[in-house]
Amino acid sequence: MAKHDTPLLDELESGPWPSFVSDIKRQAEKNPDCWDILGQLELSYRDKITHWKHGGIVGVFGYGGGIVGRYSDVPKQFPGVEHFHTVRVNQPSSKYYSTENLRGLCGLWEKHGSGMTNMHGSTGDIILLGCRTEALEPFFWDLTHELGQDLGGSGSNLRTPANCLGKSRCEWACYDTEEACYHLTMHYQDEIHRPAFPYKFKFKFSGCANDCVAAIARSDVAVIGTWRDDIRIDQAAVKEYVAGNIPSNGGAHADGNWGAFDIQKEVIALCPTECMWMEGGELKIDNSECTRCMHCINVMPRALRPGAQQGASVCVGAKAPILDGAQFATLIVPFMEVSADNEFESLIEFIENIWDWWMEVGKNRERVGETMQRVGLPTFIKVMGLDPIPQHIKEPRSNPYVFWNEEEVPGGFERDVDEFRARHAA
Amino acid sequence: MALSEDEIKAAMIEKATKAPKPQLYIKDFYACDPDTKPRVIKNIANALVKEGKLMFWSSGSTTMYARPDRIKNEEGAEGIN
Repeated sequence: MAKHDTPLLDELESGPWPSFVSDIKRQAEKNPDCWDILGQLELSYRDKITHWKHGGIVGVFGYGGGIVGRYSDVPKQFPGVEHFHTVRVNQPSSKYYSTENLRGLCGLWEKHGSGMTNMHGSTGDIILLGCRTEALEPFFWDLTHELGQDLGGSGSNLRTPANCLGKSRCEWACYDTEEACYHLTMHYQDEIHRPAFPYKFKFKFSGCANDCVAAIARSDVAVIGTWRDDIRIDQAAVKEYVAGNIPSNGGAHADGNWGAFDIQKEVIALCPTECMWMEGGELKIDNSECTRCMHCINVMPRALRPGAQQGASVCVGAKAPILDGAQFATLIVPFMEVSADNEFESLIEFIENIWDWWMEVGKNRERVGETMQRVGLPTFIKVMGLDPIPQHIKEPRSNPYVFWNEEEVPGGFERDVDEFRARHAA
Repeated sequence: MALSEDEIKAAMIEKATKAPKPQLYIKDFYACDPDTKPRVIKNIANALVKEGKLMFWSSGSTTMYARPDRIKNEEGAEGIN
């Protein structure tokens, strides 16, 4: 494959940021097929249209996901990208790698594919870019037999689950995100490897409301660690923060001149529910008003800790803006026990209730959040067998509307209009 | 009353053979037996893929099913799909 003239792409190397064009050129020195990626992209910039054909029938035997077919529509001009399939590989929990494993993955992809990678895709998995159809099965054999790794999800499958570092490194994790992610990945192998749904479905696991895997923004079921008792306070440490003896935010702002720590300005005034105050030199919290946002804990980690009764909030229906705009997930279960002791029974039951309903009611290419939006939250909550609670309402203190079903009203909705008019003239 | 697995398979193959478009969503097969749960239909569709009577077609974000003899292999085909 020859080098192409790419004046438009070359401009992208002149900015201050690392350039994917430079990366591809570097890889093309090792694998000349990669010159054709640049050649075809330059043509697309000139033609103002993509030259990738969308989708295909490629895959590995027994799997209905993990490989995304990509073909050039100008293969004679750019034979190096005639087939350029994407392979999704299930990442290790929390994205922990050994250098040996990374070298193994890169070596395997140099052997069978273009050598181009994307670490990681927005779902979380390892994306290996550019492979010919005939190389897929040999690659899959080596991946599973030499590295002991497996493909992730694509298409209408359950997508590769992802989780934060959890209890492996983080003192704020309110449940074991790694165990939950691993358990559900193994439990739903069939759903990950074979299409099951009207469209994609994702779940993600964050240990606290800092939400390091962006579960609330990216997943259909976001399991976000929380607690239901009181924030644990060490008043002596609060005094040390106020006196400036412990740096706030774990010293994250130590390199700038931010002035002395001001608990009123940096913690109390920034509490979204205004549930904190100082009294007699002590920090007080009205925990019944706390929304567990983590801000105060982030600022003063040695003084404040999540409560001891820990579990997770479960939110449903986030998605990126393909149809209908981006949306965050909606809180459905404020607190759920998430435990390996019962093999995550409550969570699995919850997820399968959603699936049974969505598979039947969801339209083709409709994310569960869009189905919820279409039928309305009250219907979704009813289908899930849950009672409505204030946490389901966006602004429970200002929303004046209460809807009742007929069976919830004594005597139902039937009434004698004449009897009513006898008391209240029209 | 729900059909037997073999009857559902036959109905699904017939649908995939006669449908105007070669690629079908999983939901298109639900009508083959409205009394059978969608997850069972999904399992039967995937069993038909395993038997080589249906095959997957994926755009990357959505997966569809088709009869192998009705679907175009993109390899070597010129022009935008």
